[in-house]
Amino acid sequence: MKKDILAVFGILLIAAVLVNGTHIQSVDEYYLTHIDDITPESETVTLSIRCDTILQNYDDLDPALRSEEFVPPDGVILPPAKYVLREGDTVFDILDRAVRYNKIQLEFQGAEESPFGSVYIQGIHYLYEFSCGPLSGWMYRVDGVFPHYGCSRYELHDGQNIEWVYTCDLGQDVGAEWMGGKQ
Amino acid sequence: MVRRLTAGLICLVLLFGLASPVSAAENEPDPLSIAQGIIDWKKSDVGSSDGNLLSVAYLELAGSTAGDWYPVGLSRLGKTDNYAGYLAVLRDRIQERYRQLGKLSAAKATEWHRMTLAILASGGDPTAFGTDENGQPINLIADGTYNRGKTTPLGRQGINGWIWGLIALDTMRYEVPADAFYTREDILTEILSRQLSDGGWALDGSVSDPDLTAMAVQALAPYYADETEYRYQRKQGNTEVKATVRTSVDEALACLSAMQLPTGDFKSWGTQNVESTDQVIIALCCLGIDPLGDERFIKDGNTLLSGVLRYRQPDGGFVHSYDYNPNNPTSLPDRSNTMASEQTLLAMAALWRQQNGMRTLYDFRPEKDEGSGEAVSFSDKDKQTVDALPQNLTTEQYVTVMTLLDKLEQSPDFAEKEAYRQKLAAAKEQIAAIHAEIDDLNAQIRGKLYPFEKISPSDKKTVDFIVDRYNALSVYDRTKIEHWDDVVKTKTQVDNLLRAIVIGIVLGTVAVLLTVFLVCRIRKKRRRKAKEMEELAAQFAEDDEE
Repeated sequence: MKKDILAVFGILLIAAVLVNGTHIQSVDEYYLTHIDDITPESETVTLSIRCDTILQNYDDLDPALRSEEFVPPDGVILPPAKYVLREGDTVFDILDRAVRYNKIQLEFQGAEESPFGSVYIQGIHYLYEFSCGPLSGWMYRVDGVFPHYGCSRYELHDGQNIEWVYTCDLGQDVGAEWMGGKQ
Repeated sequence: MVRRLTAGLICLVLLFGLASPVSAAENEPDPLSIAQGIIDWKKSDVGSSDGNLLSVAYLELAGSTAGDWYPVGLSRLGKTDNYAGYLAVLRDRIQERYRQLGKLSAAKATEWHRMTLAILASGGDPTAFGTDENGQPINLIADGTYNRGKTTPLGRQGINGWIWGLIALDTMRYEVPADAFYTREDILTEILSRQLSDGGWALDGSVSDPDLTAMAVQALAPYYADETEYRYQRKQGNTEVKATVRTSVDEALACLSAMQLPTGDFKSWGTQNVESTDQVIIALCCLGIDPLGDERFIKDGNTLLSGVLRYRQPDGGFVHSYDYNPNNPTSLPDRSNTMASEQTLLAMAALWRQQNGMRTLYDFRPEKDEGSGEAVSFSDKDKQTVDALPQNLTTEQYVTVMTLLDKLEQSPDFAEKEAYRQKLAAAKEQIAAIHAEIDDLNAQIRGKLYPFEKISPSDKKTVDFIVDRYNALSVYDRTKIEHWDDVVKTKTQVDNLLRAIVIGIVLGTVAVLLTVFLVCRIRKKRRRKAKEMEELAAQFAEDDEE
């Protein structure tokens, strides 16, 4: 009789475990696999990538790129989304992570290869500097401001909003006055 | 963004500090000692240990904007250095990039021009530099200047493409063949037609920029004495112009003179900086004008050299600017930087050449008294280096192997030459295979492991294969794998998911066994009871019969 009761308990216990799921992880494993999960406590930043200016300058665009495959009809390459901010993350780190997660092409020049000591973004989504005229290329804006230095030098903090925008006119068409600032 | 200069001016760290007033012209140091200060600073900056600036650490930069200008400065100052190594690595890099779409760059012709200068400075031939995939010699002059238009307009990136195209074309006064896409005059008039009404040039807009104006003058300088009147349509205002290059250049010089500040230097993009001044010095030297004696370029007793020396640092290097930029929290006050220093190095080379009666900075035709250069030979030390190469190579040995192989090819014959050639060729192949493996692994990671949420146990084979390949790499080569942390994360996830399935199956099996066991026991019990009852019934029946 005792054995029967034990067996019944055993079955009930296993059933309970199976219902609850068997995805059991150690603490380390849990942290590792949930590092980019957004929780109420996690610090996050928002990132988006747009190229609307090309739509207004389509004639200047490299003919090889004149397709919706490269230039989306609404100019949005990546809509605003939140990403978990890890300690010490720069604008470049978040961009690099975001394009990997969303499988967007990215080409950059490493900080050691560029003469101004920062990573330089050459192309995103196959749209490169000079792809749309001599004054075109990628710029970034954090909370509405265009910083005067490279993206791997900009360390982010909680809640900031990063926008990568394609300019066809040295920043003037996206609101960066200083770039086109004549003496 | 638009060539290294502008890119630099836009993105450079703007430094905070006080300009120490530099003494007047009479006790200014000479160009050679200023240049030596820059070279010494740069050596310590890159950590050169063998006495050369172009050391193994530096050669990693060959073919990049951060690398290619220093060899030009060094060589034009007559300095000996590891040019052979630079050529070897640059050749391999260019051959590699020629096998990709867009070759050196889809948009920037200036990639060809900068590398042309680095090759010439290092003693190479840009018209036959390595071979393409069809085994044809690579001609950077054709592909980067007169035939560039066959793929992409030379001016795709703006005025810089035309200016540097002409500078590259005139380095050796290369002939433009009859079937070329552009004639020399095409390129020349493209530059002339972009001159602004104030006499200078700019990337955009109607106000001249000192850097671009100076660079345009550098490109036009070889035509200063040319009496030809060129006809072109000036883009600003669409006016027809018929003028000699001299007229244009003189207007440009007046424009530059007007832009010069009382301190001797210039402002570009709103920032008082050293590079603009460097470019003006080079421009004047290209014209054969003495930059330090010409009255048009002395303001309040300050020469262009006084303007440059304002930016010299105690370590010998130069800062870009003293304008403090409050928007840049990462700026390091008073730190020498690569671009300011390299352009000053070029300006000092231009000055030094002028003072010594040599050809101008970008005129690479041989000097009248130039010898044939020393012969290269594969030394015993080189042999020892090859013998000491480890069995299992890594990409860390890339620069060494390429340098030695190139040196061996140029060396006169010696007994073991063929053996060493085979050894080095095998080493080159091995390293190329590792490079390919690293590239492929990076592509696999990028292509197969994202997004993380979609990872399932069925990805185990892919993930394990990537991990195995990573583990097969040397410790040095592993550092070339991007975002390895993501692979570790994915591997953990896959293993955890699989473990969950295994646990589920095991527990399920145990539960089933327990159930079977329980059922059996209950049945057995029932049967025993039934049997007992039967036996009891039988006993009762027997009793009744009695």
